[in-house]
Amino acid sequence: MIKWLAVVLSVVLSTQIFANETINARQLLKDMSSAVQERNFDASFVVVKGKGMEPYRWLHGQVEQTDLEILTLLNGAGLEVVRVDDVVTYFEPQTEPYSLSTDVIAGPIPEVLLRDISTLDSSYEFVLGGKERIAGRPAQLVRLVAKDESKFNYWLWVDLQSALLLKAAYVNQDSEVLEQLQLTHISVTERPASQLLELKEKTLPTPIAALSDDGPVKQQNNWQIGWLPNGFKLLKADRHKLDLNNELADYFLYSDGLVEVSVFVQRPLTGQRASGALTSGATTVYVHNAGAFDVSVVGKIPVETAKNIAESVKRSL
Amino acid sequence: MTQSKFDVNNEQMTSEILDAERELKMGNQAQLDADKFARYALIGDVMRQKEQSTPCIDITASVAAAIADEPVYNMTEEEAAQELQSKNSNVVQMSFWRRPLSQVAIAASVALCTVIGVNNFTPQNNIDAQAPMLQSMPLTGTVAPVSLSSEPAMQSAERGVRELQKQRIGALVLEHQRQSRMAHALSKNTKQTEKDKQEEN
Repeated sequence: MIKWLAVVLSVVLSTQIFANETINARQLLKDMSSAVQERNFDASFVVVKGKGMEPYRWLHGQVEQTDLEILTLLNGAGLEVVRVDDVVTYFEPQTEPYSLSTDVIAGPIPEVLLRDISTLDSSYEFVLGGKERIAGRPAQLVRLVAKDESKFNYWLWVDLQSALLLKAAYVNQDSEVLEQLQLTHISVTERPASQLLELKEKTLPTPIAALSDDGPVKQQNNWQIGWLPNGFKLLKADRHKLDLNNELADYFLYSDGLVEVSVFVQRPLTGQRASGALTSGATTVYVHNAGAFDVSVVGKIPVETAKNIAESVKRSL
Repeated sequence: MTQSKFDVNNEQMTSEILDAERELKMGNQAQLDADKFARYALIGDVMRQKEQSTPCIDITASVAAAIADEPVYNMTEEEAAQELQSKNSNVVQMSFWRRPLSQVAIAASVALCTVIGVNNFTPQNNIDAQAPMLQSMPLTGTVAPVSLSSEPAMQSAERGVRELQKQRIGALVLEHQRQSRMAHALSKNTKQTEKDKQEEN
């Protein structure tokens, strides 16, 4: 009798602990996204992709109820992104600066983690990991484990005191780190940084006309994309010319909430070419030569997944 | 006099550390001349004809600084006025606190893919479960069958295709990056319309 009671008790307790854990992992991420949205901070981080490294500076603050954010890529020709409330402006070399009406900067940190994480529920599990020391501070590991094995997992290390992000990594199914982001410095201040005050006074380009609002995106009729990993939804489908080489492409944008995947269908290049992949960090570019047309898939997904997507594209009848 | 003696000492110390005749310790670290050490190491590499020993003297930083400080000659008054105007203008420039370095203006994302050479090498009848990878370093000689590579015209055509493919991949990566910027807003939109529809029903 006592034995039974002990078993029942232990089962109840362990489920209790398990429930607590999921709540905690989720709560920690929620705390992180609100910390990122509420605090005034000046942070530096690096993104390491294979042999490459990109250093960034990231400023955020609130000035008289206006939410301001600056993200700068410090190496090479650079990239500078600023956000004033719901307008995000991208400054890039060789391109006129332009604005988009969105409330989050698309940078090296997946946007969803800086906002509402509930959209990830359908595609990822939240698992609490161990505690570690990152950037000189005690941190808690939270793992986003993909429910579909054809995707990467995402690991985050969150500061136990401030709930700010200290480290993050794309990890494959064999637990190998493919691309990581590491904070090197952060200062949380009472007052926002002076650059943010300066930004508030500037005039930014007006946002590009809002997206077509004829409801959910209609699947383009020319092509059928036969297979996608679970959880990916179509966000956009159109035909447009690519900026750099002026080539025409039928374009599809998909997202599972965490990562985006682009599918391009183009006129084939001449000559005999085998299909193949190219990777940089977690990003895969897969070019599939389907004979009468070329399918290219770009996104932070495994090579095998990109290959399967590309090969599933058929001309619709 | 004592100064030069000290220098000679340092030189000797640096050289001894390089030759592993002396251990690098906290005590003698101050006496190690880092610049000299790097030069000695480079000289050693060149003399031993080590591979990849191309002398790489990094002067980019000093050149960039010099360019930035260089006064602009031949500037007409109009241009000067324009520059002044753009300085006063309230529209944000590429960077608030630095001058844009137009000389090195290559979109970072494009650099990502052009640095890695694209090369087709896996024959298609390869029944490997693994997807063929476009080689990140050009494999010389093994790329094309001998009969093809002996014809220069074919070779150059092939190179042209490779160049086109490289360009295309650069364009695709950049386009993916640009389109992804709208993803968050788009997904919020789709969700909203889905919700509205549900409420309507």
